[in-house]
Amino acid sequence: MGVADFGGEAKRERRGGTRRRKKMRRLRYRLDMTPLVDIAFLLLTFFMLTTTLITPQVMEMTIPPERTQIEVRQSELLTLRIRADGKLFYNLGTDAPQPISLRDLESLAVRENVRLKNRLITVLKASPNTSYGQVITVLDVLNRAELPITEQLAREGLRRERRFAIAPMSEQDEQEIASL
Amino acid sequence: MPKLRKRRLGFVLDMTPLVDITFLLLTFFMLTAKFKSEAESQQRFTIVRPQATADTSRLPDKDLAIIKIGIDTVVGDTSYYYEMTNEADWIQVIASLEQFQQAGQGQHVRQLKVNLTELNELVRRTRIVRPTTRFAIDADRRIRYKWVEDLMEVMRQNRATIFNFVTDRRPPEQAPM
Repeated sequence: MGVADFGGEAKRERRGGTRRRKKMRRLRYRLDMTPLVDIAFLLLTFFMLTTTLITPQVMEMTIPPERTQIEVRQSELLTLRIRADGKLFYNLGTDAPQPISLRDLESLAVRENVRLKNRLITVLKASPNTSYGQVITVLDVLNRAELPITEQLAREGLRRERRFAIAPMSEQDEQEIASL
Repeated sequence: MPKLRKRRLGFVLDMTPLVDITFLLLTFFMLTAKFKSEAESQQRFTIVRPQATADTSRLPDKDLAIIKIGIDTVVGDTSYYYEMTNEADWIQVIASLEQFQQAGQGQHVRQLKVNLTELNELVRRTRIVRPTTRFAIDADRRIRYKWVEDLMEVMRQNRATIFNFVTDRRPPEQAPM
């Protein structure tokens, strides 16, 4: 290298230099990754954009196998009725039906179930002319009420047994809530 | 000076971690991707599902019979549609019914537009072919409840007393009503 360099150092450098050059030549072999990365990103973008992470969920429903007449105490019966326009009405036993909002329905379901300690039977009657979405919304509210009910009953040492049924709406039912 | 230029040209970014992550993500998305089923690609309607509170129960994809109630986007009328995820079972169910075999010309059709009596027959056959088949009702939220009520009656007659309503997740901030 430089003229002023000591001989030994220069030698060492030269030696090192040649060795490095040799090694480098071997190492320098490089695969061009660009097309690979291009394709990988393209596919990644495609799958990211087409994927839907929200899968539909389900709401389980059980219906009695046969239409049988079971005698129940009127005082332990909560009837919910959905009118054709989607309005919700409730009555306990033989009381007169009263309109109720969805928000109040949850607290009502919790209150009555806890008060009657599992004996309450909830019957939902929906008008054939109401929308299916409305029925599901009401079912959803009732499902959500299950958690506080279970909790509060557990505090009293009881296990929650749900009693719920969907029944068709009779004409008499419809007349009772028609003018409200 | 020439030394300096050489160094600049020799600048190499190590792409290895980037490529690693990219492939990891790619694999993840490829494995989780679920493509439209044949039955879905044949349908001429989109279902606006009712919304329900977020739940952990998901739609099973094995041995599932789906009864769809959809509003046709072209004609605008409501109808029942029947499909099954198990192809072998589907062929068996269809094979036993002459009217569908003719209409569908064998196995190519994966979704059938049916009326209530046909639906009754299909549900009955499905129960015979595989009694453990689970049923899902995937209905549009705008339809009249009567459609679902009639369908539940059919299910009751066939002793398929446990079924699922397919819903979409409600965004957490959106309370009902």
